[in-house]
Amino acid sequence: MHIPDAFIPLPQAAVYWLIAIVFIALALKWARNELSEEKIPLIAVLAAGIFAIQAFNLPVGMGTSGHLVGGALAAIVLGSPYAAVFVLSIVLIIQGVIFGDGGITTMGANIINMGVIGGFVGYYTFTGVKKVIGNTYASAGIAAWLACLIPALACAIEMFVAGTFPLVEGLIAMGLYHAIIGIIEGILTAGGIYLIATARPDLIETETSGGITA
Amino acid sequence: MIDNKTFIAAGIILAIVIGVVAVFMASGDPDGLESTALVVQGEKTLTGLSPEDGDAEAIGEGTFEYEAPLPDYSMEGAGKGGEIFSLIVGIFVTFALIGGVTWAITSKPSKS
Repeated sequence: MHIPDAFIPLPQAAVYWLIAIVFIALALKWARNELSEEKIPLIAVLAAGIFAIQAFNLPVGMGTSGHLVGGALAAIVLGSPYAAVFVLSIVLIIQGVIFGDGGITTMGANIINMGVIGGFVGYYTFTGVKKVIGNTYASAGIAAWLACLIPALACAIEMFVAGTFPLVEGLIAMGLYHAIIGIIEGILTAGGIYLIATARPDLIETETSGGITA
Repeated sequence: MIDNKTFIAAGIILAIVIGVVAVFMASGDPDGLESTALVVQGEKTLTGLSPEDGDAEAIGEGTFEYEAPLPDYSMEGAGKGGEIFSLIVGIFVTFALIGGVTWAITSKPSKS
């Protein structure tokens, strides 16, 4: 759901950038307070993996492909929605600047959708669902599904405000495609958490009640 | 439990494997957003196939043009090799930039 430059008029793109910068600043503050040097291998490998998996467009039928976003994965593994903002902002900057994936003017909107909305929806869905059902992997799967769907719906609304998509048609198409892409996102997010929890349980956030107890 | 070096090596190798598999297996269909753009332009139905030559970005105004060095994760005329090269560049740049930024902000003197 990387928005290209052409899809949002410049004044609106500037507003999204301003909001994104506020969240990037908060994410840097989070990183300074919560990350330690021991976490560098985890966050760097996680980001490289998110970059690779985002480049893999999986067919979802209906003439459409989708790739993973990874916001829920970053937020759950590192125990904060700001982890998703931090990792996704840097991944999106690299994708936009080096590979032309997602626009430059629209990068703020992309950071808001995939990093901020994806991260917050992913993290708080995970902690909420886990309190109810207890299972880490099922909770992560549900959280990742929503963290794919909700940003897509937000994107459809932004496209309506931009005058690019009509509201209802945009919501239906974006919602339908990303509800299916989200299933893949859910399965692979649970799988990714399992891999990291098996390889390095010490790196995973366990302090919060909603965190992973591996 | 594996040590840091093994964890990093295993993670990077996994990322490269995903990237290489992606080059050969990834779907050429437009993504959800581009597909939606084709639907609202009437070039495709909601559940139908995408047109071969559909231009999703035709819907926009084209107010800003940016030429990326490795557009669409590929090098012009370099085929699959260029795509693999692009993804490996991306994986290492991501690893180095995130690692570097994290190192820079966590190793400030007041914290140690």
